[in-house]
Amino acid sequence: MSAESPLPRIALVGNPNVGKSVLFNALTGAYSTVSNYPGTSVEVSRGHCEIDGVRYEVLDTPGMYSMLPITEEERVAREILLHEESRVVLHVVDARNLERMLPMTLQLVEAGLPVILVVNILDEAERLGMTIDIPLLQEKLGLPVIGAAMARKRGLKEVREAIAGYEPRRAVFGYDSDLERDIARVASLLHGEYRLHSRAIALLLLQRDEEICSLVALTEGEHSVHVEKAVNEIVFERRTDLHLRISLERRRVCKGVLEGVVTQREGREKTFAERLSDLTMNPWTGIPILLLILYLGLYQFVGVFGAGTVVDFLEGTIFEEGINPWLVEAADRHLRWYWLHELLVGEYGIFTLAMRYAIALILPIVGTFFLAFSVIEDTGYFPRLALMVDRIFKRIGLNGRAVIPIVLGFGCDTMATMVTRTLETIRERIIATVLLALAIPCSAQLGVILGLLSGEAGTLIVWTFCIAGIFLLVGFLAAQVVPGERPMFYMEIPPLRMPQPRNVLVKTYTRMQMYFLEILPLFIIASVVLWAGKMTGLLQGLVDLLTPVMRMLGLPEEASAAFIFGFFRRDFGAAGLYDLHTGGLLSPVQLAVAAVTLTLFVPCVAQFLMMKKERGWKVSLAIFAFVTILAFTTGVTLNFVLNATGILG
Amino acid sequence: MRCGFCGKEIPDEVDLKEKACGACRGACRKIHCPCCGYANPAIPAFLRRSKKPKEAPP
Repeated sequence: MSAESPLPRIALVGNPNVGKSVLFNALTGAYSTVSNYPGTSVEVSRGHCEIDGVRYEVLDTPGMYSMLPITEEERVAREILLHEESRVVLHVVDARNLERMLPMTLQLVEAGLPVILVVNILDEAERLGMTIDIPLLQEKLGLPVIGAAMARKRGLKEVREAIAGYEPRRAVFGYDSDLERDIARVASLLHGEYRLHSRAIALLLLQRDEEICSLVALTEGEHSVHVEKAVNEIVFERRTDLHLRISLERRRVCKGVLEGVVTQREGREKTFAERLSDLTMNPWTGIPILLLILYLGLYQFVGVFGAGTVVDFLEGTIFEEGINPWLVEAADRHLRWYWLHELLVGEYGIFTLAMRYAIALILPIVGTFFLAFSVIEDTGYFPRLALMVDRIFKRIGLNGRAVIPIVLGFGCDTMATMVTRTLETIRERIIATVLLALAIPCSAQLGVILGLLSGEAGTLIVWTFCIAGIFLLVGFLAAQVVPGERPMFYMEIPPLRMPQPRNVLVKTYTRMQMYFLEILPLFIIASVVLWAGKMTGLLQGLVDLLTPVMRMLGLPEEASAAFIFGFFRRDFGAAGLYDLHTGGLLSPVQLAVAAVTLTLFVPCVAQFLMMKKERGWKVSLAIFAFVTILAFTTGVTLNFVLNATGILG
Repeated sequence: MRCGFCGKEIPDEVDLKEKACGACRGACRKIHCPCCGYANPAIPAFLRRSKKPKEAPP
């Protein structure tokens, strides 16, 4: 798949999270296009820049760890290097992890690509007491090396100068003599035209890279039999894992290259923040810390204070005793038309239902949630959580990276569903989408449920165990059923810091404003639809239809309304549950069953539409059907178990 | 602006104003970190303090 551009091309390659995109943006400015690489769902950014009067096309490739691809992203990145000729390849590496990233530089050089090495994030490395001798590294590698901190534009000028003055030269790194003999033997049998150097092709063949084997078979034609025979003989003779052997050889070379290049200041004692950081990532201490954060941040602050004290005041005192009676009285006096009276201040009225739900119920709950969320976020705790849960998440087909959509899902599942695209494989994206649709309640739903259940400790425990159990069970089963690759996970951990009040308040305000502006019109529309349903009798028909289901769940007929609300929005359904409970219609068992079923219940309309956009109709409808069936099955089973055992009785 | 998840600086060139990314028709008021993909809230203009990145040391 060749895509030749008339302009000379600059390709940016490197591991994820090393600042490739920052360099891309610094080179190209705001003007860039993002499109899927042909035949894949992997996004590739292309832009342009002008250096010394020469206009270049700049290409930001997906993150890759090695020339031997595992993920779809790595495959695309290599495809670009294999098939799109570049004037310069900027290999961006993280200065803090040079030893781990340098083997890929070796692979790029071996491939005969015109490499410039950009040692980025130098400022952070220096802060950690590291000194990197860039001129010495350049001398040892035999290629241009630039020290940079792209977030601060440090090194940008030098990168541009290196691109303008690039002159092709070829560095060679020697492996052990027996391995060199094997490489030379395979390389000498390659006679076709390849974009990569024959040495790189030979190394990939010895590592049994299937795509390269196919490429060689296609290019060499009948002659490929000899190549295949030579590779098979070498693999048989060596009786060793050549992939591991080559990796170890590269590490050895890199170690030698870095000798004298990187020096680390010794004797520094760990600060309190660093010690605390270590504790948050160790499962033995990290899990109690997580539980403490959940107890104080979610249960006490959002559940007891937000959904209890603040909602009681706003809903009970301001709306129910002040605003609503005044509005109803005014409507009784001035509105002659029953339909208009109902539309504004009736059972599903815009003021008595939509505005009350949005302002008095949901806003204080999401407000306290976002405040707690922003404090936790600003401390830098989330990446530590990602590292701690990595092992558990691997059991459910994900890895620590999936903490990003899962954590965001507690804010809003719709946006979190979109963020699943940042996961590396399609398998992970599907599993995360299922789990978000099923077992991750959004902020308002979580807040209402915590508020309702805060006075019923037993019910809260039942709800927590059910949701956590289903999250793990479904994840575990999905990991067995959904085929695909299992990428590894690592990430750089930013320093743990004290939350900045300004940051926290600004982020909380922004999130609340965004949320409120989004839900208010939707709540009004939902209220109008419910009103229309009531006036036409359709709503009663729907309630009648759901009555047998409610009976199976052991819930009163009135609970149908909360489920119908839930179709519009998760938070609207949760607010309906709040009304049912405050109306004294639910026993502890019924409250537990309703809370569990509503949490697992179908994703809201917006989330479903996002699922359809990200995963397509087929997968979304399958998830929708699965979630609905599982939610009601769990509800019915829970009702049976709780009644039979007398728990919560 | 620093990413709330990975702590990396989101470069100036990523438009910090509300802007649709193409995933939906409207703008979601989120700035997606180019490093980790985390959705950071787009701070309204009146709350954004004009702050230029520190110059590199010579």
